[in-house]
Amino acid sequence: MKVTGREDYPQYDALWHLQTLGVLDKHNAPLDWSAEPPAKPTRVAVIDTSVAVAHPNLAGVINKELSLDFFSARLGSFPFLPKDQEKIGELDLKWDTEIAEGLPLTGKLLAELVDRLSKSSKPHSKGIQPCTSPAFSAHGTNVAGLVGARPCIAEQVLPTGEKAPLALPYSGVDPMCEIVQISNNFDPEPEGLIMAFLYAELIDADVVLLPRNIADPHRIVPELGDIKLGDQSLTDLIRQAGTQDHHTELWSELSALIVNVSQSRPVVCAAGNANEETGIYPANLASDHNGIVSVGAVNAKGFCSSYSVSRNITVMAPSNDAEIFDAAEVRLDEKSANYDPTGVPDSNSNCKYSSFDVISTDVPGLSGYSGSVFLNETVDGALLDYGSYFSRFGGTSAASALVAGFLSLGRSTGAYEANSGLVAKSWLLGKCHVQKGDDEEFCMPCWSGTPMFPDA
Amino acid sequence: MEIHEILAQNRFTVTQTGLRLNDTDVQVVDNPNVGVSGGNALSLLALNRNRNRNRNRNRNRNRNRNRNRNLDPVAGGGMLEPWKERAKLHELSEHWVDLPIPLPPTIERLRVEAVDLLIKQVLRRTPQEIHREEEIFREANIELSGYLRPLGIEDHGGYEATESLFYLILALTDEIGLRYKDRYSVLRPNQVEPRLRPLLPNPPHQSYPSNHSFQSFSIAFLFARLLPEHPASSEMFNSARRIAENREWAGLHYASDTDAGYQLARMVAPVLEEVCEEQMLAAQAEWY
Repeated sequence: MKVTGREDYPQYDALWHLQTLGVLDKHNAPLDWSAEPPAKPTRVAVIDTSVAVAHPNLAGVINKELSLDFFSARLGSFPFLPKDQEKIGELDLKWDTEIAEGLPLTGKLLAELVDRLSKSSKPHSKGIQPCTSPAFSAHGTNVAGLVGARPCIAEQVLPTGEKAPLALPYSGVDPMCEIVQISNNFDPEPEGLIMAFLYAELIDADVVLLPRNIADPHRIVPELGDIKLGDQSLTDLIRQAGTQDHHTELWSELSALIVNVSQSRPVVCAAGNANEETGIYPANLASDHNGIVSVGAVNAKGFCSSYSVSRNITVMAPSNDAEIFDAAEVRLDEKSANYDPTGVPDSNSNCKYSSFDVISTDVPGLSGYSGSVFLNETVDGALLDYGSYFSRFGGTSAASALVAGFLSLGRSTGAYEANSGLVAKSWLLGKCHVQKGDDEEFCMPCWSGTPMFPDA
Repeated sequence: MEIHEILAQNRFTVTQTGLRLNDTDVQVVDNPNVGVSGGNALSLLALNRNRNRNRNRNRNRNRNRNRNRNLDPVAGGGMLEPWKERAKLHELSEHWVDLPIPLPPTIERLRVEAVDLLIKQVLRRTPQEIHREEEIFREANIELSGYLRPLGIEDHGGYEATESLFYLILALTDEIGLRYKDRYSVLRPNQVEPRLRPLLPNPPHQSYPSNHSFQSFSIAFLFARLLPEHPASSEMFNSARRIAENREWAGLHYASDTDAGYQLARMVAPVLEEVCEEQMLAAQAEWY
């Protein structure tokens, strides 16, 4: 009889996902690349929540001059410029972009944004504060760490009160890149995301990462467009709030804009955490004709994570797993103290379950996904704990962040030419290994060799 | 030290109890000296289980609560006067007393908007819209079911901090909104368009911006801050808009009031996340 519920979970390397991606070897040394930053760092635009910029592993990673918050101010507030800085100054932007050609409403927004970014304008547009408190930046901080965290030596406070160096051996996929955080409120309103993608274009990002969905009422999965009751569409009938015709137009333009932006660099999107057949929006825009990359999740045993599908997804990347108990699959954690065999069919997939999470940087101190026992984050800049600086993470958010980092590493090492999303995507696919499961096979990027699964 | 030397010489291992730096014994608490000699005096990581994925919380501890509790600042266990948070709010007043909401529409423009309200007044009695009346009456005084239902926690126990946070936001935003209303002193729709028959009496303050809109969207924006990965965080905005638009259907607010309330909520959010940080973290803990 099988012994269950013993909670004897294996220990694992916090950077296992980088080994699985073939970026680091088992000694965590780089495989077939070296950390020699290019003259101009690879620029990754992360469209997500805000980020805890003071995390020691993110020092020098987050571009403080360019990161822009669209949560509270529709034309953006710069959250990380010095408090006494009165003007934003000359920004090196792609002012002559033609990204909004054929998109009239987007063109107007672009003109407003360009005007707002002129050198004499203020960091906080019209006195509106950015909404970027680190306390509520867990998602953005975890995502940023997976892409570009840098190993560092911080300082710790010893129980004697003395200070001593403390190594924080944590790394993102591309520790040479820079991240421009474009934070957003993800209100189901198209303008904020149009601004975010326009800004990603203006800063000429090398990689754009969108580790979540966009709540476009017309494009939420499943799309209801074709379902009619009488002569009215179901989408219209269930609408809670009044229709705003210009919004319908703007949502369509946003969709076209994302495709346009992906022509000049890859746009990496999370494919969703609820087994969505072709991915959530906008991951489901990925096609052979654009640079959009949809990313699903694989667990540390090399199986599709229970919440992810591999069909119609561009690539799969390492992440955590979850229990599932439905008609398609029963996959439960037999090591869990809560494991109950009642009703579990004989032919189950429990052996596919992996307890490994992806570890990433977290908001230091009390807040974030993992909290501290101390009320202070630091004493004069020295750490009281390191536990609150990292957390378990997962979902296709984590997987998409890893793929964005992978593409960034390719750019940083000159593995493919810049300025084409399609070129980047075909390089990525060229780096892929076909992983075969029981009844599925899928593409997984691997920098060197074949993917290693530490929980297999 | 080169970054790869740091990785080569140190390692984080994920253990059942947390994160371990290098191979030092995990006895930091019992014997601090071990940690010191190994250069790792710090605590273990209490890596919380991940909650990035959608999770269904199903805590059916029904407490037979009245789901239509009104905001009652003193009696009935709603909440105490949030004096500490008000003090903090006033310290930050420069960040919220003069936010750039558009100037209110001209009377001429309000008359045009009021025609829309007349249309809504007629449509209110059609079968498609008849259920709005019930919503309007329920929402006359601020209550939380409109926010708790999309989250699936209405009538569930274990979300007291989330509810308290929502009440706190309603209390603080009420005060902010009243200042803007007083500044612009815009007439209520039926004072501009006498053919309007509002479903409820006009509240004793001015029209622009709509506090129902401002307060509802404030809840949506702050929830989007504290739990952005929750699938319902976008839906909260739709609920907020519905509550705000119902005031138009009631004949109490112009569409421009609704819009100004939305804009104000968005711009006030950075102030509120600072003022309500403690309550937001407490609410967040209920979901993690």
